[in-house]
Amino acid sequence: MLTLDSHRQFPELTQSKNITPAVIHGKDVWHKYNCINCHTLFGEGAYYAPDLTKITQHRSEPYLQAYMRDPSRFYDEQTHRRLMPKQDLSDEEITDLIAFLDWVSNVDNQGWPPRPILVTGSFVPGADTVTAAERDIDPDKPPPGVTPVTEADDIRARGQKVFRMASPACNACHSTAPGADMAGPTMAGIVSRATQTLQSGDYQGAATDVEGYIRESIVDPSAHLVEGAMYSANGTSFMPTTYNDSLTDEEIDQLVAYLTTFK
Amino acid sequence: MRYKSQSVAYWYFAVAMVLFGLQLVFGLLSATKYLGPDPLLYILPFDVTKVIHTNLLIVWVLTGFMGATYWMVPEESRSELHSVKLAYIQLILWTLMGVTAIIGYLFRYGTGNKLLEQPLPHKLVIVVCMLIFLYNIGMTIKKSGRFTTTEGVLVLGLASSAVLFFPALLHYENYTVSIFYRWWTIHLWVEGVWMMIMGAFLAYLLIRLSGADREVMEKWLYVIVGLVFIAGILGTAHHYYWVGVPQYWLPIGGFFSALEPLALAGMAAYAYAAMRRSGLAHPNTLALHWTIGSAVFALFGAGLLGLAHTWPSVNKWTHGTLVTAMHGHAAFYGAYAMIVLAMITYALPAMTHGRREQGSSMGYWAFWLQISGMFGMTLSFATAGIGQVYLERIMGMGYLDAQLKIQVHFLMLIATASVFTIGVALFIVDFFRYAPRFQLSQEPDPELDTTSPSSAT
Repeated sequence: MLTLDSHRQFPELTQSKNITPAVIHGKDVWHKYNCINCHTLFGEGAYYAPDLTKITQHRSEPYLQAYMRDPSRFYDEQTHRRLMPKQDLSDEEITDLIAFLDWVSNVDNQGWPPRPILVTGSFVPGADTVTAAERDIDPDKPPPGVTPVTEADDIRARGQKVFRMASPACNACHSTAPGADMAGPTMAGIVSRATQTLQSGDYQGAATDVEGYIRESIVDPSAHLVEGAMYSANGTSFMPTTYNDSLTDEEIDQLVAYLTTFK
Repeated sequence: MRYKSQSVAYWYFAVAMVLFGLQLVFGLLSATKYLGPDPLLYILPFDVTKVIHTNLLIVWVLTGFMGATYWMVPEESRSELHSVKLAYIQLILWTLMGVTAIIGYLFRYGTGNKLLEQPLPHKLVIVVCMLIFLYNIGMTIKKSGRFTTTEGVLVLGLASSAVLFFPALLHYENYTVSIFYRWWTIHLWVEGVWMMIMGAFLAYLLIRLSGADREVMEKWLYVIVGLVFIAGILGTAHHYYWVGVPQYWLPIGGFFSALEPLALAGMAAYAYAAMRRSGLAHPNTLALHWTIGSAVFALFGAGLLGLAHTWPSVNKWTHGTLVTAMHGHAAFYGAYAMIVLAMITYALPAMTHGRREQGSSMGYWAFWLQISGMFGMTLSFATAGIGQVYLERIMGMGYLDAQLKIQVHFLMLIATASVFTIGVALFIVDFFRYAPRFQLSQEPDPELDTTSPSSAT
């Protein structure tokens, strides 16, 4: 009975209208390369590698493409002690696998995980991050152990909140600790680096000051590429280009104000 | 041995022993990879060692179940097996299936669906083997005209595990739907019908070893089967957490999985009661160790450790972490590995030359080293898992950073896994160091039932 009702609800819960041939093929790729015997998906799998249920919400498609072509360019086995072996996937397999993972990330799975599972991330006690799903249920409810930030607070405090609650969360890729580069460069020292960039002469972007440069980096990540195989390929930054739409102008102002505190 | 055809069980047990040994090789390899870096990254990466580790587990435990059934059914039905030849054909097919599947996994030949990775041809061979097996057992019982409750539960368990394999043969385009039905096989096997199989073996061993009253034992068995049915079937819902099914599976899963330990507590209480009531008359005390040990360890690993993280509000944080590995290792070992080892230990003196009935000191070392090793492994996974949940899920640390912080638990895992492996190695050596013998130890005596076959020699 409940099984029948589950079937009735599957189309809506799993967005089955979005199961395109690419998604189906991506699922077969997932199986073919035995991904589940290291990773977990919906928390099911082998616990040896990060959960990928919401990975497409944390990492842009260009990043995932480059990552799957050669993981050793992104992680160092000596430092992280674990490395994904190179899988020699074809371009089509990579694209479809990402389509599958993107479909997975949109399945209504009771709001799990309760807090984003980051691949790497700076140590932030009581980080005030919640999942997009949970925010939909109760946007005002702060996660356990967190000091809520209100309109009355400093613009930089509100920016710090945006840094952790934007979707994808900025701190999924950027740490705020000096020298701790993750999937993206650390935010520590961003002001001095931006100043150098603006003065270097080979900067082609539209910005004329540090605030403008940071704002440009948020809304148009490919406008100026930061050197490094982990950050960009073929003139395209791996950073998602969605923030211009997903964040309000006010939120971007707050974010810029927060980031300019990192001299 | 009272029936000549029981000797097929020896070869099933021998195959099971070899596969058990191999399983540990791949288990240890997987455990060292948690520490890293991995020099075998491009030869034997974690996914390959892990898939072989879990598949060998399933294959050797099922081989043990089949061997134990071929041992038990002639005794219970007081008849030779219907066909010894079919039993050997089944063993050869089964072993070939297992070995080629594992060689295939080394080359990434498989379907990558967790625990059901076998390629389709292998799945079909599994079905054929199960059908041969059920036919052979069914005909034996039918011809003998004697069908005990213990056998009834065993056959019900075996037949259902064959039936429940069918959802595994189907193909689903929707990953969530595929997960939904995958658990019909995996969960209902592990927490439903395998449990019945375990209950049947436990009843058989307790009747034989303690001389407990068959009537009383069989009443307990009904209670256990009932509980397994009620809690086990709806308990499947705890696998439906967070995979994209309707919300109502959460309370159902929480409630019925909380009931699941009851069946195990029943089994443990039942083993204890049998032991108390009878005064332990049987000379094979080593088999008694394994039997009671299995009931107690299953209650701990499958029952209590399962309960520890099955409630949705807890599971939300522990789901997909090493906490699950903690429960998995203790549960499988206690409930299934140990009951097979108990059946082997019980049957072995009658099948080999020169073995002492009460068990060798090597056999006792094997028992205690395995128990303490597995207990240590469980604690290692538990502490690693709790650390992981706290750092990664509560504090928001990245997955890879959190794993680096809990490395000391992986060291402990490797140390305790080594103790466990020594215990298993001793068991295997003890198994093979006496040559098999296939003469009857006594004439079939249909009048006597509660005497064990070997105690009369």
